[in-house]
Amino acid sequence: MLKYTIKRLLYSALILFFVMFIIYSLMCAMPSGYIETKAIELASRPGAGKSADEWLADLNAQYGMDKGVIVGYFTWLGTSITGNFGESWKWTVPVTQKFAEVIWTSFALSFVSFLIYVSIAIPLGISAARKQYGFTDYFATVFSMVCISMPTFFLATLLQMVFSVKLGWLDLTGMQSRNHASLSDFGKFLDVAKHMIMPCITLVIVSIGGLMRYTRTNMLEVLNADYIRTARAKGVPERKVISSHAFRNTLIPLVTILGGSLPSLFSGALITETIFGIRGIGYASYHSMVQGDIPFTMFYLAFMAILTLLGNLIADLLYAAVDPRVRLA
Amino acid sequence: MASYNLNEMLKRSDKGSNKPGNKDEMHLDDAERVKVLSPMQQVFKRFFRNRLAVFGLVLLGIMFVFSFLGPLFYPYGQTEIFRKYDAQKTDYALAKERTEFTSYVIDNELEIDSTVANKANSNILTMVSKNVDLMRTNGKDGFYDLVRLEDNIYVLTKLETQKVASFGSTQTHVGLCSVTQQSVTFDGEDLGEEFTATALKSMKGTSGSFEFDGLTYDYQKTSAPKTYDIYLTQDNGFLYEGSNLGAEFESAAQSATESSDQFRFQIGGKEYFVVEVSEGSYEAYAYLNESPAMAFTRYAFDAYETGASFSDEFKVQALLASCNTGAFEYEGASYTIAPEEDTLVVRGSDGAEVAELSTFVIRRYNGADTMELGLKDAIREKVELMTESGEKTATLTYPIPQQKEDGTYDYDEEGNLLYNDSELTITRKDTGEYLVNCDQIILLIDIYAPPSGTHLLGTDGDGFDVLARMMYGGRISLMVGFVVVFLETLLGVIMGGLAGYFGGWVDNIIMRLVDIFYCLPMMPIMIIIGAMMDAMRMDTYVRLMVMMGALGVMGWAGIARLVRGQILSLREQEFMVATEATGIRVKRRIFRHLVPNVMPQLIVSATMGLGGTILTESTLSFLGLGVKHPLATWGTMINSVSTASAMTHYTYIWIPVGMLICLTVIAFNFVGDGLRDAFDPKGKR
Repeated sequence: MLKYTIKRLLYSALILFFVMFIIYSLMCAMPSGYIETKAIELASRPGAGKSADEWLADLNAQYGMDKGVIVGYFTWLGTSITGNFGESWKWTVPVTQKFAEVIWTSFALSFVSFLIYVSIAIPLGISAARKQYGFTDYFATVFSMVCISMPTFFLATLLQMVFSVKLGWLDLTGMQSRNHASLSDFGKFLDVAKHMIMPCITLVIVSIGGLMRYTRTNMLEVLNADYIRTARAKGVPERKVISSHAFRNTLIPLVTILGGSLPSLFSGALITETIFGIRGIGYASYHSMVQGDIPFTMFYLAFMAILTLLGNLIADLLYAAVDPRVRLA
Repeated sequence: MASYNLNEMLKRSDKGSNKPGNKDEMHLDDAERVKVLSPMQQVFKRFFRNRLAVFGLVLLGIMFVFSFLGPLFYPYGQTEIFRKYDAQKTDYALAKERTEFTSYVIDNELEIDSTVANKANSNILTMVSKNVDLMRTNGKDGFYDLVRLEDNIYVLTKLETQKVASFGSTQTHVGLCSVTQQSVTFDGEDLGEEFTATALKSMKGTSGSFEFDGLTYDYQKTSAPKTYDIYLTQDNGFLYEGSNLGAEFESAAQSATESSDQFRFQIGGKEYFVVEVSEGSYEAYAYLNESPAMAFTRYAFDAYETGASFSDEFKVQALLASCNTGAFEYEGASYTIAPEEDTLVVRGSDGAEVAELSTFVIRRYNGADTMELGLKDAIREKVELMTESGEKTATLTYPIPQQKEDGTYDYDEEGNLLYNDSELTITRKDTGEYLVNCDQIILLIDIYAPPSGTHLLGTDGDGFDVLARMMYGGRISLMVGFVVVFLETLLGVIMGGLAGYFGGWVDNIIMRLVDIFYCLPMMPIMIIIGAMMDAMRMDTYVRLMVMMGALGVMGWAGIARLVRGQILSLREQEFMVATEATGIRVKRRIFRHLVPNVMPQLIVSATMGLGGTILTESTLSFLGLGVKHPLATWGTMINSVSTASAMTHYTYIWIPVGMLICLTVIAFNFVGDGLRDAFDPKGKR
C-alpha cells in the first residue's frame, strides 16, 4: 500500500511536470505584445504600485518568458517549487497571499453544498433504484437529467431573477450587506451565510444529478446481485436487505467517487462565483485570466492540475481501502 | 450472425415447400412464428420502447427543424435591424428676432477687402446707434461706403477714386531732446546750438510748445526719463497730385473738413470728397465711380413653397428692389416686392406669392430652412400672442412631417410627405429666443421591443429579431457541438485504437498523454484562449474555428481511454483470435471486426458529449469569450441581457433562450441514455 502510494505520487509528479509544461507553452504562445499591453494597462491603473517595465522585468525574472519555452519553463519551475509564485498583476499582492485570502470562502461554499447534495442525491438515488421504472424512478431520472443539462449561468440568472428581483429576499450579488460593518460577529456570519444561499443552491442543483444517477446505477447493480437474492430468499425483511446488505455494498463505489471529489472542493466554482460575486478562488481566477494576470493564472492552473491528480489518487487508494477484494499493485 | 442466417434459410425453405393458406396451422417450431430481428433492429426496438429516449429524439428533431429549416421560412435574418416610428422629444425649431445682418454678395467679380466685409456688421450696428446713413471706411484697395437703404437693408459700395490733393498741416519729427545730456539729437538737418538752447530752456512738464525762428515747435515727453520728442507742425497748403484745381476747390475742400461728415462736395460738376489722414492733415479725392459690392439685411426669406431656396442673386435683387421701384427681374421672370402688414412679400408676375421677408426668423433647430410657411406663420402668431400676454410657454397642434433616422423626410408611395399631428410647445428662453419642442415621429431602431405579432419574441438591444437570432444561434450551437464531438471522437478513436491495438510502448506513451490531457482544466484554458482572442481582436468566424479546435483537442482523452479499454477487452475474445487464425489482414481486422464493436460505446459517448459541448460553448459565449456579436449563439443572447436591469425587463429574451439550451442538452442526454440501454440491455441501465 505504501509502496503503491509512493509510486503513484512519483507518477503524478511526472504528469504534473508535463501538464505544467503544456500550460506554460500556452502562456508563451500568447501573441507578442499582449503581455506588454496588459502590463501597461495594469500599470496605468490606480494603485498598481509599479511601472509596466517593472512588472515585465519581474515577470521575466520569475517566468523566464524571454528565454524561450524550455529554458523559461525550468526557470519558472525552479522558483515556483520553492513556493514563490510572484506577485499578482491584477490584485497587486503576492499570489500566495491572495490565494490564502480567497480559498476558504470557496471551500466553505463548496463544502456546504457538497454536504447538501450528497445528503439529497444518495437517498433519492437509492429510492429510485428500489422501484425501478416506478414513479420515483422516472421522477429521479428526469430530475437528474434536467439538473445535469441546466447551464450554470442560466440557473444562476433564474435564481437571481426569482429571489432577488421578483421576491427581493436576497441580494443580487456580493457577499455582504450594506450594513455588514455594524453587525455583531454572529450577525456578520449570518449575513455572509445569507449571501451564500443562491450560490449554494446553484452548486447543489448542478452537481446533484450526476451523483444521483451514479447512486441509482450502482444500487441497481447491487440489487441484482446474487447475495441480495439470497438474503431475500432467506426471508430477511426488505428494509434490512436494503439498509444493510445492499446499501453497504453500494457504498464502495460511492465512497470512492466522493473521496475522489474531496480535493475539488478547493477548486472553487468559476461561473457561480463570478455571477454571484462571491470573492472566492473561482472569482479571483476568472478575473485574473480575463485580464491577463499571468502569475495568478499560472498558479491557479497548477493548483487545479494538482487537485485533479490528488483526486484520482485518493479515489484509487480509497477503492482499495473500502473494498478488501481490490489489491493494489 | 449464424443464427440469423439459419433463420433466413429456414424461412426460405418454408417458402420453397410452398404451403399457401396454411397460416392458421402453426407449430411451436414454425419459423414464421418467431419474428427474427437483426441486431440493429433489436436496438431500434429497444430504443423506441424507452419513452424518455423517444421524447428526447422528438425534441431533437424539433430543435433541428427549428434551427436549420426555421430560418429558411422565417422572414427575418439574424443581423437584420428593425426600425419603428416612434415619438421622440425633439427640439424642433428655434424662432427669434434676427439682430445680426446677413451678407449677400452683389457682384461676384468685384474684389472686396475681406476686413472691410468682416467689419461691416459691427459698423452697421455703430451706424444704427449713431443714427447715420453713411459710413466710409478705408480698405486696402480703396474706399468703401456703407449705405443705409432702409432700417433693415444696408449696402456696401466700393468706390473708385482718384487722389487729387493733400492739404492741411503736417507734423514732422525734428529730434530728440535730452535734458540730462543737455543736447538735441536731430533726425534730419542740424538746426544749430541756438535751437538746442531754446529747446532745453522751454522743456517743462509733459508737453508744450516753443517758438524758434518764426516756427512753432511742439514737444512731448517720451517714456525715457527727461527726454522729449520735438515736432514741427507746418501748414503745407494744397499739394496737388495733378493740376491745380484753383481757389474755389480749396475753399470747398476746407469747408468740407469743417462740416460734420466731411464727405462729398461738388465743384464744377465733379464730385470730390476729403478724408482726414491724421490730425489736421487731409486728402482730397476725386470721385469717379461706385459699384455696389454687398448687401446686408436682417430679413430672412421664407419661401411659400416648402424647402425651396433662393439664390443669393435673387435675394439681392429683391432686397435692392424693395428700396427702389419694387420690381426686379431674375432669370427672365419678373417679380415685385412690396410691404404687406409687417413683412415684405415677393410675388411673381402672376401675382402668386413666392417669398416672404421678415426679421423674425423661424428655422429648424439645426438651422436648416425646411419648415412650411404655414407652420412658420402659426408659430409667429403664437409668439405674438405670447409677447402680448407675457406668457412664457404656449402650445399648438400642427401636422409635422415624419422623419427617417438620418433626418430626411419620409414619403409614401406616391411621393407625398407623411404627416403626423404633433403638439408643439413654444418656450421663451431668457435670451429672447423661442424654442419649439415637439414629439416628432422619427424612424428609430426598434430596441427591446416586447413580443408582438411582427416579432414573436420581441427584439433585442440591437434591434434584431430575437426569434430569428434564436434560430441562427441554434445553428451555430448545434454546429459547434457536432464539429467538436466529431473532432474529439476522431482523435480519440485514432489514439485509443493505436494504444489498444499495438499495446507496449505505444500504449504507454499514448496513455500518459491521455493522463496529461485529463489533468488540463478545460474551462480555465478556454477562458484564457478567449481572453487572448479578445486581445487580438480576432475575426468572429476565426474565433469560432479556434474555439471548436481547442474544445476538440481538450476533449479527446476520455474517448481514447474508452476506445482503448474496449479494444483491450475485445482483443482477448475468441472472435479476434479467430480472425488471427484465419489470417485476415490487419486493416480488415481493425476496421471490420474491432471498430464496429466499439461503435455502440462511441455513439453513446458522442451523443452525451454533444450536450456537454453545447453547454460549454454557451457558457463561454455567455462570459463573452466565445462566439462574438453579430454572430448569434444562445450563450451570447443571454449575455446581452445579463445585467440586472436588462434581466428584469427583458425576460422574454433570455428565458426562452435558456430553456432552449436546457431542452437541447436534455434531449441529447435522453437520447444518449436511451441508446446506451438499447445497445447494452444487460448492463447497468
